[in-house]
Amino acid sequence: MSEPRADYLPEAIREKLIHDPRVAEQDLRVDVQAHRVMLGGNVASPQLKQQITEVAQELLPGYEVVNETTVVSAAEPDSEEPVL
Amino acid sequence: MIRIAAVGDLHYGAGSTEILRPSLQHLHDRADLLLLAGDLTRCGGPEEVTILADELRGLPIPVVAVLGNHDYHADREDEVRRVLEDARVRVLEGEATTVDIDGVRVGIAGTKGFGGGFRGAHGSDFGEPEMKAFVGHTKTLSDRLDKALTGLDADLRIALLHYSPIEATLEGERLEIYPFLGSYLLAEAVDNAGADLVLHGHAHHGAEKGRTPAGIPVRNVAQPVIRHAYNIYTLDAGRQVLPAAAGGIR
Repeated sequence: MSEPRADYLPEAIREKLIHDPRVAEQDLRVDVQAHRVMLGGNVASPQLKQQITEVAQELLPGYEVVNETTVVSAAEPDSEEPVL
Repeated sequence: MIRIAAVGDLHYGAGSTEILRPSLQHLHDRADLLLLAGDLTRCGGPEEVTILADELRGLPIPVVAVLGNHDYHADREDEVRRVLEDARVRVLEGEATTVDIDGVRVGIAGTKGFGGGFRGAHGSDFGEPEMKAFVGHTKTLSDRLDKALTGLDADLRIALLHYSPIEATLEGERLEIYPFLGSYLLAEAVDNAGADLVLHGHAHHGAEKGRTPAGIPVRNVAQPVIRHAYNIYTLDAGRQVLPAAAGGIR
């Protein structure tokens, strides 16, 4: 990608990640400092987390990608809630 | 006692196989009904929802769903719906269905819903055509929800949404995006018609629990919020919530 001004780079990356069908996550946090891009938020699977790292690396070759996203548990619940 | 399992925002796509399946194996021992609160896919592709449909096919309990904004992204929402319906998942959009569970009629009215914001800060269908279309869409879907709920002849009534009807279940989200996360018009529809429970998704950083202004319980079941394959809510058909106009909760 043609690199936007540094002030706008995190948002440009966030937009690219939303529109990449391998990612399509609207809730990722993106921060860029020097030549390091840091990613945060929740993801559904380890596979998706890995895909996000790969796509971010494609978007910013030469940058270090630090993927701090959290894989959310999909375990069965321990209990139930009476609501009525 | 009716046991409702619910989850939203599963975002199935390539690589999602088996995410839900292990937790579904014992579901019929723990719940009478599974409700899906939209964003079942990553990009709205029929091939994405097929992965989920294959996991749901053959479940021995009824499954009812609404679609979410992601499920519309590829402009193939009709195909997404058909794939789900082929797996015996009932998909609602401004519609209602009734399920008989051991003689208790559980009615579910569903819509994706849409945004606009909340009381005192809601967008208006005023000005540019784009703004009229945005708020008009929310009004249309809220009206349909009201009618679908009102038309239900059931012992328990559940409103199944993707977008949020209240602010309380958005706490944790950035205030700037509240208008894109829900609309008070959805809550007004529910409070006008009456319901026993409202379920929604969409707000991944929100909170699980809240109530409509009339006191109807609202649960945000977005998977990143509940951090389980689903949550289970139990309802006693002997303790129904009435619309505010009829005296509120009893």
